[in-house]
Amino acid sequence: MSLNTPEFSASDFAPAPNLVAAERIVRPSLSYWQDAWLRLKKNRRALCSLYIVIALLLFTLLGPVIWRQDPALQDLDAISQGPTLGTRAIVVEDPGNWEGVRGEPAPLPPGGTLGAPTLRVEGIATTQYVRLVWSMVPGAQQYLIYRNDHAPESDQDLGLPLGTTLSPDELSFEDRLQLRPQRYWYTVIASDGVEEAAEHTTIEVSPQRAITVSQARERELDDTVGATVDLPAHPFGTDYLGRDLLARLMEGARVSLFIGIVAPLLFVLVGVIYGGISGYFGGNVDIVMMRVADFVIALPFLLFMILFRISFGIGPGESGIFPMLLALVLLRWPDTARLVRGQVLQLRGEAYVQAARVLGAQPGYLIFRHLLPNTMGPILVTLTFAIPMAIFTEAFLSFIGMGVSPPTPSWGSMSNEGIRTMLSSPHELLFPSIFISVTVLAFNMLGDGLRDALDSRMRSRE
Amino acid sequence: MLSYILKRLGIGVFTIWFIATATFTAMHMVPGDPLSNERGTNEIIRANLERQYGLDKPVFQQYLLYMGNMLKGDFGIAFSEENRSVNDIIREHFPVSATLGLLSLLFATAGGVLWGALAALYRNRLPDAVLMFLVILGISVPSFVFAALSQLLILNLNQWAGRSILPVAGWGDFRSMLVPALVLGMSTMAFMTRLMRSSMLEVANTDYIRTARAKGLSPTRIFFRHQLRNAILPVITVLGPAIAIITTGGFVVESVFAIPGLGRYFVQAVAQLDYTVIMGTTVFFGAFLVLVVIAVDILYGFIDPRIRLGAV
Amino acid sequence: MSSSEYALEVDRLAVSFDTYGGVVQAVRDVSFKLRKGRTLAIVGESGCGKSVTMQSIMGLIPMPPGRITQGSARLNGDELLGISQKALNAIRGNRVGMIFQDPMSSLNPTMTIGRQIAETLVVHRGLSTSAARKEVLELLRLVQIPEAEKRIDQYPFEFSGGMLQRVMIAMAIACKPEVLIADEPTTALDVTIQAQILNLLKDLQERYGLSIILITHDLGVVARMAHDVAVMYAGQVVEAGSVDDIFYRSAHPYTLGLRAAMPSNDPEKRTLRIIPGSPPDLFAPPPGCAFAARCPHAMRLCHEHAPPLYGTGHIARCWLHHPQAPESPVRGNIATLTEPAC
Repeated sequence: MSLNTPEFSASDFAPAPNLVAAERIVRPSLSYWQDAWLRLKKNRRALCSLYIVIALLLFTLLGPVIWRQDPALQDLDAISQGPTLGTRAIVVEDPGNWEGVRGEPAPLPPGGTLGAPTLRVEGIATTQYVRLVWSMVPGAQQYLIYRNDHAPESDQDLGLPLGTTLSPDELSFEDRLQLRPQRYWYTVIASDGVEEAAEHTTIEVSPQRAITVSQARERELDDTVGATVDLPAHPFGTDYLGRDLLARLMEGARVSLFIGIVAPLLFVLVGVIYGGISGYFGGNVDIVMMRVADFVIALPFLLFMILFRISFGIGPGESGIFPMLLALVLLRWPDTARLVRGQVLQLRGEAYVQAARVLGAQPGYLIFRHLLPNTMGPILVTLTFAIPMAIFTEAFLSFIGMGVSPPTPSWGSMSNEGIRTMLSSPHELLFPSIFISVTVLAFNMLGDGLRDALDSRMRSRE
Repeated sequence: MLSYILKRLGIGVFTIWFIATATFTAMHMVPGDPLSNERGTNEIIRANLERQYGLDKPVFQQYLLYMGNMLKGDFGIAFSEENRSVNDIIREHFPVSATLGLLSLLFATAGGVLWGALAALYRNRLPDAVLMFLVILGISVPSFVFAALSQLLILNLNQWAGRSILPVAGWGDFRSMLVPALVLGMSTMAFMTRLMRSSMLEVANTDYIRTARAKGLSPTRIFFRHQLRNAILPVITVLGPAIAIITTGGFVVESVFAIPGLGRYFVQAVAQLDYTVIMGTTVFFGAFLVLVVIAVDILYGFIDPRIRLGAV
Repeated sequence: MSSSEYALEVDRLAVSFDTYGGVVQAVRDVSFKLRKGRTLAIVGESGCGKSVTMQSIMGLIPMPPGRITQGSARLNGDELLGISQKALNAIRGNRVGMIFQDPMSSLNPTMTIGRQIAETLVVHRGLSTSAARKEVLELLRLVQIPEAEKRIDQYPFEFSGGMLQRVMIAMAIACKPEVLIADEPTTALDVTIQAQILNLLKDLQERYGLSIILITHDLGVVARMAHDVAVMYAGQVVEAGSVDDIFYRSAHPYTLGLRAAMPSNDPEKRTLRIIPGSPPDLFAPPPGCAFAARCPHAMRLCHEHAPPLYGTGHIARCWLHHPQAPESPVRGNIATLTEPAC
């Protein structure tokens, strides 16, 4: 580049100091909460969690209005059912009035061995009952009946022994043991009372879903034998007492979320008041109050939750929610108290608080007007993190049987019940634990987002 | 340092006293009493039992008696099992819980430090994202779900292998400890991973790491000599709370896996309202945790020179 | 001029950072030369890119987001930019020593200072631990730390700020570097300590012929230490020359402003002068002179055309040296081509 380029005109060298433009404020100023909200909105994970939380609240509050099944209604014919979207069933006669089939027993021909009977199903096989009828086997004193859920691979693999006939003339058996609409393999073996026959007969049976006439009458359905009726849907399946899992999850959500939200609200409130007083007055008041808080913190939390839960006791017919709430509040307030105290101590030294004090502000005014509003951010974050903790605690206590008492459902007690049938029907454990996990997850991520949103603002204020 | 330790121990003793008193008070608020359950049928037997357990004396005297015995290290006799002292129960079942807890603490700490360091190393890349997702799962899924799922997994594994690779439940050799310890340490590992990651990132941005780089040290040397050591310090401070979480978490894991630890015994005692066992175990666990926290703090002091030499 | 006269030559260096808000051009076309055995001060207000310039040369800025987009830097003829991490590590701490602003946070809190200094010797000179320890003791005495035998096994928190800066210096000069980069070495210290540290640096320079780059915003420090000065503004060198050139023949309005802003003992000048306004947004630097918006002598073309560098030796990036420019306080302070070059 040539240095003395002469292509400029004299007007280019006219003075043009431009001092005003340099002092331009570009960004509009935002309040603390506006700024935090903007940051939170940018955080996709936190926003997503917020939606999940709202959805959970809707599920809890509006769910029972839409899903009108009684969570306490037991249906012993639909025990531990997997998720179904409504089933149809045929109406069959009540069991118990089948006389069975009898036949004259014949002696074993000399030199002969016990054979295998021919086996058939009387009527149609339904989930109410499967009626087996077989032919008489000469020499048989009794018959053994087995049921299996897969085709037997060997003589040892016949499945569940359902029973043994009592007399040699009984040639039938009615199976009413927890039948499901699936395939079964029934085996009948003749026995002379000492030894079993070497041969046996196995048939495959697929029972149809059915309800009895009296059940149909109870539910105000068509009660003519052979009619087809619609049974209620269980989109989340049923539990070990045949109760609708979705309805119970909604009911349980009310318990779990109630404890999860109300308990933190209460103990954070207690903590705020305690910490506020302690931090505001300082000195000996502060020392004594914080020592007390230290001792409460030193108590092993879950042990004392259990202890308090026992000592508050549960009367007959009570759900046990209140003792748990009280125990949580009694044990959990010191964390918030410490936090608020620290914040208040720090804020007390700030110039604007000093100024207000010099101007004659009363302690109450100072605490509620100046100190607490400025600690709201950290308090909110504490609250958000306290919620998953409380939900976890409820689940833990209910799981070890120290939570809400049956029949009140909570996600924790439902998981506890579900774990017993985990192998045969995993959905009973799966759904409540998914609800616990998702809720805890959502509140944790929301807390993370809130902390980031409020924190960065704090950092930029420094 | 010595005066620090003595001071901590002094406060610790006071705290244990507070725990014992709180336990005593809580247990005396129980509606009804433990004798009303099964064995208090006969009036005379009842009176005898009350005398034997000191329940006929005024509350304050009971308290003094209880504290006196506690000072002698005597937690009394179990209600539900005759002729078995709480001390015997603790002596028999606590080593199981301690073994399980120690093993899971080992898993949690080693795993947390390792995964956290890895996540920090691969910050904002795929391994980090995967690890952080797992961390969130580890924090949000209750331990009983992990326990149940791992049992299912073991069942399937054994079925698939056609023999018992790992026992589904029970207690004995190392194989039976492995999965329960992992499950028990899961949430702690998740917490520690997260802590270690943020701690590593924080240290990576410090001036002294810049100095180390300006000195021409190799990245490996900086990582091990400067970054790791400083990043681990905060992880050590949470060891105390972690042990508390693992101890109480043991209740669930021991119950699900049928491990004869003190936690499972405690849960049973709670179900039977066994007065002395509950009190004894609570005070024992409480004292144990208080001492562990002090021990961790002292250990931390030895690792961080700033505290060891009394700068803080 | 042969290159052997210079310990460090930086030529047309440009560094940018990729951020969410866009690309920040933190260093734009910066050149300077450090004479052997002399001190070059790089002066400018915070955020002008003086630290970034030196840290990017030493590979200390995080990349990404940092990016060196052009330029070269030669240490006694050896190129520093674009070489491998390993080659760079062999130079850092060995041929170039660095000390930083805050000695309290610049040392590893969990390692004794003895080991931290020894580390350099072990890594670069392959000394054994015991040999390194002996050397470290020497170094501690050299930087005038009393009771070196006791201090060597102490941790950073047991030292005062001034003592720690001495430790940092000991660490930086352990391998007898060709260049010492001191990034605001006295900013975090109180005034009396500042003087001691500066004296120490000066003393070491005289003793070992150290070439020093001193990054500072304090013209008092410059006057005391520097032989040559480069004034930076908004990522550019706006004026460079000998310390006398800068103080007595300022050729850029920004330098004039800096000088005016220096606190003075003169009772007549009690009010502290400031340069109004703030530096431009480096996301989108103005098309003309970066200082135009704050310049009391700005002309119309200053806002539209980037000024070239005028002068040789003592140089300035300002249109006021254009032959057609009106009279101004900087005019004639450098040798432009209209006058005979020296």
